[in-house]
Amino acid sequence: MKYAAIIFMGLAMSVVTEFTESAEGPGAEYEIPQAPTHWLATGNKGGGSGPVTQEKLNASHTAKSSWLHYYGDYRGYRHSAIDNITPQTVGNLEFAWGMAAGTQGPFETSPVVYDGIMYVTTSYNRLIAVNPGSGEVIWRYDYQNPEDLRICCGPNNRGVAIGGDLVVMGTLDAKLLAFHRLTGALVWETVITPYQRGFSVTGAPLIANGRVYIGVGGGEYGIRGFFDAYDLATGERLWRHYTIPTDGEPGVETWAGESYRIGGSPTWNTGTYDPETDTIFWATGNPGPDWNGDDREGDNLYSDSLLAVDPETGELKWYFQFTPHDIWDYDGNTQIILLDVEVNGEMVKVVGHADRNGYYYLINRENGSYILAEPYVAEINWATIDETGRPVVRPGAIPTGTHTDRVCPGHAGGMNAAYTGAYNPNTGLYYVNSIESCEIIEKGMAIFIEGSTYLGGSFQSVDAEAGTGYGDLVAIDASSGEVAWRHREANGLLSGVVSTEGGVLFTGTVDGRFLALDAATGEVSWEKRVGSIVRGQPIVYEYEGDSYVAIATGGSNGVEFFTGGFSSMPDNTYLFVFRLGN
Amino acid sequence: MECLRKIRWSELLPAATPISPAAALISAAALLASCQVSSIHSEPSPVDVYKEDPVAVSRGGAIFRSVCSGYCHQTTPTTGDALFLFDCSWKHGGSDQEIFQTITTGVPDTRMIGFADNLPEGYADTWRIIAWLRTRSQCDDLNP
Repeated sequence: MKYAAIIFMGLAMSVVTEFTESAEGPGAEYEIPQAPTHWLATGNKGGGSGPVTQEKLNASHTAKSSWLHYYGDYRGYRHSAIDNITPQTVGNLEFAWGMAAGTQGPFETSPVVYDGIMYVTTSYNRLIAVNPGSGEVIWRYDYQNPEDLRICCGPNNRGVAIGGDLVVMGTLDAKLLAFHRLTGALVWETVITPYQRGFSVTGAPLIANGRVYIGVGGGEYGIRGFFDAYDLATGERLWRHYTIPTDGEPGVETWAGESYRIGGSPTWNTGTYDPETDTIFWATGNPGPDWNGDDREGDNLYSDSLLAVDPETGELKWYFQFTPHDIWDYDGNTQIILLDVEVNGEMVKVVGHADRNGYYYLINRENGSYILAEPYVAEINWATIDETGRPVVRPGAIPTGTHTDRVCPGHAGGMNAAYTGAYNPNTGLYYVNSIESCEIIEKGMAIFIEGSTYLGGSFQSVDAEAGTGYGDLVAIDASSGEVAWRHREANGLLSGVVSTEGGVLFTGTVDGRFLALDAATGEVSWEKRVGSIVRGQPIVYEYEGDSYVAIATGGSNGVEFFTGGFSSMPDNTYLFVFRLGN
Repeated sequence: MECLRKIRWSELLPAATPISPAAALISAAALLASCQVSSIHSEPSPVDVYKEDPVAVSRGGAIFRSVCSGYCHQTTPTTGDALFLFDCSWKHGGSDQEIFQTITTGVPDTRMIGFADNLPEGYADTWRIIAWLRTRSQCDDLNP
């Protein structure tokens, strides 16, 4: 057996291989081949379902055999229609197959499943297409990142988007790559922006109506944030929406001096599309520098905000800012869920959002008006929220001298946009993992160097250091914001959540367990030790009549100071898949 | 340049070993690199001066906590990819000059980006950071 290598000597410097029979016997002279980076599929792959149409993307919440979006559907629910995984049957889950990612760093992906193929991204931008029933590799691409990436928080990637016959992945050096979903052939490649200025892409793209939407990281590097729309067929950029206004634009007055030029407001987490209001919702991260706001006096629009934009033009329809003049690094870009709730006797289309600042919000998704904010974290002391939705900040939480007092939640949340929650329409509960670890924020010098960290201070994880931090899986009544129940773990939780129609939740823990909980009560119904920290986003799908649950595990970078996590556990990155036979 | 004059071609071309021009250049580069390191090592370190200046040490610490800590180098032991810098275990060299080199040029394939002379007061601030690191060393505590 040998690889028949086709070496492209151009800029891509990649090696594509196909599996063929060897003509050489033992002892034949050979040169050590360049390590392959791209394996194409051979033969007929997939189940013949045809391209991923917009109708399929719209109706993804009804399809048991696929998982098409980062959030499962455009509503952001991460709720599977599969109904045979119940608190009573979940104990029958069996290990089906596993796959090593082969890379280090947080394995945070949410796989996509369609037409008998699962698409898995790893840290450092490997993209692997596998059989969802067996794990057999169908095609694989190892992106070759440069050696001087600007990644504040790890070489993370959280998944692909699928549309038509293309699978699209963002890269740590701020590119978009589109592959044929069946063959793995690279169809187009687009540079979003020069990464050397502090940009990266870690989030999954969003696809709707022939457009690919993608945001960027860089809130810790003095970028001016934006998110883009690209033509799915060609990779051509259609529009760019800057998340900080410039000279002459409304909102620029909320930035002192010229601080708007380097004010952060990144867009690193995936947004969503609302077919009902024909709106792209995208939320933004922190202003920079993170922990010193002296040079950027003002509200710093549109950092830490929910943005509603026109899908065709990228023009702003309205916004709501969760944390004006953020000096705690409370990125406002956690998950968005689309709901219809009763407000004062009338049904209202709303966005539900558990912000990193510890409050769960309801915002009218037709006009951006504020409805409510209720705390979902167990301890919160940085601010209360007034009747307009604006925080009233406690003076001790402001680093007027060198540091704050103990501020809750800590800078990582609450919920963090690096992972997902899930909403079950039957219980009306929104399930989010929360880090309960308060901190002292130290204000430092605001030193801007293009392409370098622009933090303006640091934090002291006092709870984590004292061993008093913990984590909660919180069940929030999505209509009222009241907390229905909490499942408590010894350490902050950094994994996503998935929900099933059968009333089960799946999530993972920092100490290496994968859990199933009763969605009604929070009682743990089943658990398996997976051996490494869990930071992935679980998914549920059906394949050839059986039900499967998949979870990416491993990658403990930074866990101790975020959560006081489990540092003695060995670390490796693996995808685990469990099966429930029907 | 003082060091360059001491290099003999015989050092680059061992008599019994055929060597290509490319290999000779690599050897020369290696010799020059070692020459530069030994030359630098023989110079007094600016850190020795800054360590005795409380204002300089304080500024070094302030810059470290503003730029280097946060999401990277913690001041308490961690096991993440950003190294703990107070235990006297230096992965990329622990002399003042080697630390200076790491800060200014970075470490490829890690999150450590080189700062060149871009800190507000240029290389002087880099040396002040190193001076502060020295004063915060926990060698004696961690390696009694």
